[in-house]
Amino acid sequence: MRSGFERYHVEAKEAPAKFRIPSRFIVKRYNNCAEVQECTSACIYGVHVVRKDGKIAEPINELCRGCYLCVLKCPDLAISVEENPEFQGLGNSYFTPERIRTIYFEAESGRVPVSGAGYNGPFAGTGFDGLWFDFSEIVRPTRDGIHGREYISTSIDLGRKPPRLLFDEKGKLLSRELNLVEIPIPTILDAPVTCATMRSLQLAVVKAASKLGTLATVNLKDYSSDLVPYVSNILTRFSPDAIDEAEELIRQSRIVEIDLGGEDSQIQEYIERIKRINPSVLVSLGCPYDECSHERAYNWAEKGADVIHFYSSDEAVERNPDSITRAINRVHSYLVEKNMRDEVTLMSSGGIAEASHVPKSIILGADAVGIGLAYQIALGCKVCYGDKHSTDCQLSIESQDVEWAAQRIVNLIGSWRDQLLEVLGGMGLREVRRQRGEIGRAMFYKDLETKIFGGSE
Amino acid sequence: MQKQVLFGKPKVTRAPPGYPCRVEKYDVVMDRAKCNECASCLETCAEYLAPAPVPYEAFQKPEGYIILRNPSKSCDGIDCRRCERVCATGALSVRLSPQYLALGDVRWTPDLILSIWEQSEEGKVSRRYEHRIGNSGGGFDRLRFDFEPNEEKPYDYEAFEDVDIDTSIVLNLRNDGRPRIEIPIPVYGADMSFGSISLDVMLARAQAAKAWNTFTSTGEGGYPEELIPYKDHVITQVATGHFGVNAETLKRARIIVLKYAQGAKPGLGGHLLADKVTPEVARLREVVPYISLFSPFPFHNVYSVEDHYRHVQLMKDVNPRALVSVKVSTPIDVDMVAIGSYYAGANILQIDGGMGGTGAAPDIAKKNIAMPIEYAIPIVHNYLVGEGVREEMAVMASGGIRTAFDVAKIIALGADGVVLGTSELVALGCTRCGNCERGRGCPLGIATTDPFLMKQVNPEWGAQRLSNLYYSWKTQWHYILAKLGLTSIRELRPKGQVKFKDGKLGRIVHLDHLR
Repeated sequence: MRSGFERYHVEAKEAPAKFRIPSRFIVKRYNNCAEVQECTSACIYGVHVVRKDGKIAEPINELCRGCYLCVLKCPDLAISVEENPEFQGLGNSYFTPERIRTIYFEAESGRVPVSGAGYNGPFAGTGFDGLWFDFSEIVRPTRDGIHGREYISTSIDLGRKPPRLLFDEKGKLLSRELNLVEIPIPTILDAPVTCATMRSLQLAVVKAASKLGTLATVNLKDYSSDLVPYVSNILTRFSPDAIDEAEELIRQSRIVEIDLGGEDSQIQEYIERIKRINPSVLVSLGCPYDECSHERAYNWAEKGADVIHFYSSDEAVERNPDSITRAINRVHSYLVEKNMRDEVTLMSSGGIAEASHVPKSIILGADAVGIGLAYQIALGCKVCYGDKHSTDCQLSIESQDVEWAAQRIVNLIGSWRDQLLEVLGGMGLREVRRQRGEIGRAMFYKDLETKIFGGSE
Repeated sequence: MQKQVLFGKPKVTRAPPGYPCRVEKYDVVMDRAKCNECASCLETCAEYLAPAPVPYEAFQKPEGYIILRNPSKSCDGIDCRRCERVCATGALSVRLSPQYLALGDVRWTPDLILSIWEQSEEGKVSRRYEHRIGNSGGGFDRLRFDFEPNEEKPYDYEAFEDVDIDTSIVLNLRNDGRPRIEIPIPVYGADMSFGSISLDVMLARAQAAKAWNTFTSTGEGGYPEELIPYKDHVITQVATGHFGVNAETLKRARIIVLKYAQGAKPGLGGHLLADKVTPEVARLREVVPYISLFSPFPFHNVYSVEDHYRHVQLMKDVNPRALVSVKVSTPIDVDMVAIGSYYAGANILQIDGGMGGTGAAPDIAKKNIAMPIEYAIPIVHNYLVGEGVREEMAVMASGGIRTAFDVAKIIALGADGVVLGTSELVALGCTRCGNCERGRGCPLGIATTDPFLMKQVNPEWGAQRLSNLYYSWKTQWHYILAKLGLTSIRELRPKGQVKFKDGKLGRIVHLDHLR
């Protein structure tokens, strides 16, 4: 019996960014300003302030929230609020300036972004933007998780969940003991891109995973002695020929991942070798998404994989946002069709750019979601996709920054978990396990568009 | 049953904004190095370029450009360009102003905001702005009436100002002995609480509602005494916190709305932070000041259709002459919700789409939960038609409806009318900056209870602005109906199933599916 039950809670602490992102607006005060100081009395955000010498100071762009009151109130027509091209140039078409700004806010404060007025974005979009969540109305009770009055579980189990127990003729149990790794949030941290300060960066990520109680993927080559205390929060990843090299880690770990490029005839053998070293370790098979992912998932589940981890590069998702949503759902649906879905855990990485992408991946069929680029953006990454020619990389984590970086990751994931609770509460779900594959509770833009407007003669 | 007398159409009176400056769509920029001071531009454009209260010399920009501007007139921009043509040295150029470019978003484009401001000021719309659609890439913004491609510009709305076309709708279609309630325009005001908006904004809305013989709503924040003179035009909202709901406020109303969900945050409750619960807010909500208030979700006395029936009947029992409106949002089974509400006895079903407004909601909810109203209305309409009960319950749409054309389109998709929120606030000066929830609230004095900020909206001025907007919209509805060959907006609402074929439904087309 477990005593002293503790409700899972992510501790957020302010962690201001090292590099400020450009402000959204530029406020210009032209030199026909007659210093009537209408703007300084009008602005409630402190953009326009009076200096000690009684003159109006230069506008502080960072504080501007674009209400236009100073523009409207200036009798000299001396103020202009304009878009900041530097801000508009952030990121790319997928990791948009708005998404980057949101990630910065979440990583800094750990809070849920809240705003007034209705949604201001496009009607719908592709990929994750092409679906809406259903919610509960009148006859299905919703849950109030975010304010903590009802407990909504965000825990998930990694590992095989056999549908039935097997016995031999004499009634002796044949099935293996249930072996699961429970993590309190359905998100794991993917390995960061290789960079100059890899050792500190990797340590920060692992520390964050440890504080969150989840897992961080670490490539064997990036494993250092710093990480030893956190081994139970590490998902070590190595290629099949490095199993021997990883023997000590396999012995200590709760879960390891074999990095596969595609189909491999010796999968069963790899799994057996690892289980011989440590019978209780979970084996995850990692592989990029491709056209055969669904069949591969089925084969590998048959061959004894505990977890299957498919991933897609963020660059590929940016090129075709539909690719990731289709891929997740295809694998999930195929396993359901083959009656194998619960016998294996599905993890999906790639294209996770905002909080809603986590529950959306889950509703499409993933058990757990890997977060990669998003937390690196929180630490300063400018989304160059490892461009060798990029000279302005800000993702440098020195050893003194490790705590700061870990806290920013914790804040980000904590905020995303709270937003997950909002979605689960709205949908009336008590736990995130129940959301997996609930496509009936998702509404797809393309379906609705066709149903309402797309009929033909 | 006595037919209500409709008020005459209120008159338009100019209601300019109370600010010395405006956000302009166009700028005329002059390169000082090229200008030979021949003044031919001033001769050709006497309105905009005429010597203004502010001297031109004042507009010196560091890089040697001067922006020419007359704060009391707007430049006609690229439709005109006379000044550009007469300038012998090529010193002048007309451009979109950078302020214009930074205003609004894809749903509420700068043109839509400026056109609502213009209509609220003048009671009519000029050719300067795209006043019909936004740029969201779907829904209303891709739907058109089939006459639209062949129209002559500028649109001659004014010719349709006084034509004999009926824009009234009936809110009680049931034969249940309750008043029929007819409103002369197919819109009434959305639920916005005291606290989320200022008392003066509520008063402005109530006065406009009275002038047009339509309605506005209390929202979930109690019923301020100042609204009692307008009680025949104020809907009492009952929401999950039951703040300020009592027999008295229910009996006062001609319509009671049960708010089950809100499109901006469906499935989620509300949370009013302690420091916003001022003594005045607390008194109206009948709570202790400076304690955080939760509006739970959902109604904890309604967990089944039977409960829902009892809930509606309770309201009907408390006030035997009131209509009961049920406000729901758009889950996947919105049609089931609709038929449930019909059998529960609702007179009005208000469907609030996923793009609906709010004073504060988590961004994840606004973007990702519930479907847009453009889908929900046909789904509900078709189901109610199939069940043979469509003609017994008024269906009101809300959530993302911004323009007179949006109203007409959603009626053509199956709604009886529209509940209007954000557009009204834009008419009162909202710039759609989305900072309603922060600190002291809205800097423009709309969504705030800050005594200093709220002075910017005067109730009488506000009522006139709203009235001017309705006037302009009514003219546009006349125009649309006349172009469609209809004499009443009730004829616009389909009677049978709404089914698009090859992108067409009657006289409405969807550009993305047109074949």
